[in-house]
Amino acid sequence: MQSYWFGDVDGEVCTPFTGDAAARARRIRSLRATMDGFIPLTWKDAVACGVCSDRSGYFSALRELCFAAAEQDIREQYAGKDTELLQMVRTLDGMDEMINLLSERVAEWHQVRHPAFSRKYHRTPAHVLVKSISQKQRGALGRVAQQVEQLAAARTDLAREVSSRANLVMPNTSALIGGLVAARLMSNAGGLLPLSRLPASAIQVLGARTALFAHLRTKSPSPKHGIIFQHRRVHNAPKERRGKVARALAGKLAIAARLDYFRGVLVPEFLEGAQARIDRLGAGDKP
Amino acid sequence: MIRIGDVLVSQGEGGVYSERMLAGARVWDPFRSKLAALYYTGNGVELTADMRVLYLGAANGTTVSHVADYVEVVYAVEFAPRPMQDLLEVARRRKNLVPIMADASRPEQYAPLVEEVDLLYQDVAQPDQAAILARNCAFLRQGGHAILMLKTRSVDIRKTPEEVFHDTIAELAAAGLEVMESVWLSPYHKDHAAIVCIKPGRK
Repeated sequence: MQSYWFGDVDGEVCTPFTGDAAARARRIRSLRATMDGFIPLTWKDAVACGVCSDRSGYFSALRELCFAAAEQDIREQYAGKDTELLQMVRTLDGMDEMINLLSERVAEWHQVRHPAFSRKYHRTPAHVLVKSISQKQRGALGRVAQQVEQLAAARTDLAREVSSRANLVMPNTSALIGGLVAARLMSNAGGLLPLSRLPASAIQVLGARTALFAHLRTKSPSPKHGIIFQHRRVHNAPKERRGKVARALAGKLAIAARLDYFRGVLVPEFLEGAQARIDRLGAGDKP
Repeated sequence: MIRIGDVLVSQGEGGVYSERMLAGARVWDPFRSKLAALYYTGNGVELTADMRVLYLGAANGTTVSHVADYVEVVYAVEFAPRPMQDLLEVARRRKNLVPIMADASRPEQYAPLVEEVDLLYQDVAQPDQAAILARNCAFLRQGGHAILMLKTRSVDIRKTPEEVFHDTIAELAAAGLEVMESVWLSPYHKDHAAIVCIKPGRK
């Protein structure tokens, strides 16, 4: 018996598939043909089956089905909880870049307008400077500074949202390194499934691609950490222990990512041991 | 193929990707489309109004829309959801386009949908491009043509483009295809080659 999109053909007998559009779309997405000695269907099979009467009817029925199946497929792929988080975290990183660039530019512009102004000895961070510029300056400079401020406010909101979304989508990973860093790891790997498939050693240097390939090509030392450096337990650890902490953390993250993908719920008994081990290493005790 | 002066065009509704129009026809830009580049650098396969085409790696439907202007029907296979959204939009306005969301390396998934075709066109930029083409030859009629767009940098970055090119041609010949024409697509596309084959046997 051969199954085609319009029904099942068994020798001379053809049974058209009856069902609503959604059911038909589901059916063709699950069909698998045997490719050994495969003979393609012809549109006349469909006519013989009573599905359509001519070639244009054949195509309109087939097209309708293909559209329904593709739309179903797209919807399912986007329904993955990590798809939107991925867009959110990439937007966040894009905004960071934009805000830093524009604040520095605004500061430079301000300095040209006020020859007596200098940032030396004031330790004024760019965002504070932008705020005062937006209040005091008129014209385009003031307006641009206002926009940068608004962008920064939107960025803060987005960061909070990324963090809370990450807590839902990847609870175990987020519990270990915080929502924001967890989301960045996921974004760098390309999704939760790709992240869960990575070995711990790869997670450890995720985001340190340049250093890693420089190490592989030349004799430069290997990177100890990539994105996970943003986590406090890594960057707060004394320099000589950082590599150890990063390695242990990455090992636990690899497990956590798998738990997140395959179970999707918080696993306290895993987290307890994992947190304790990372903290011990950070404090310099024997593991 | 339709040419106005030296410019390759196709007859159809314009505005798909804000392409340039020339005397009411859509300009088919060789810098954007590898198939158009093949028609500029080599002979390719003449597209005719009675042709059925299986197009693997349809992406956003840019090249597909031009192919659909020439032929009777195009079965366009694409795997990724994001470009598929665009492809569906193109297919809504071109009634001879059948959009199929499936993995081109797994023909058993879409075999229940596709008829026998006269032309098999593949542009999937995968390491096992030649093997994917061979697997899809089940849909190609005897005497039909297959066009492989070879992105040499996706096959093996450690080999030179020339090595990959020769290896692929040998692989296609081993799969029982007759290689008719093989050209580099420079200056339009860097390190890309087109290989035109024919499936032996009579119609």
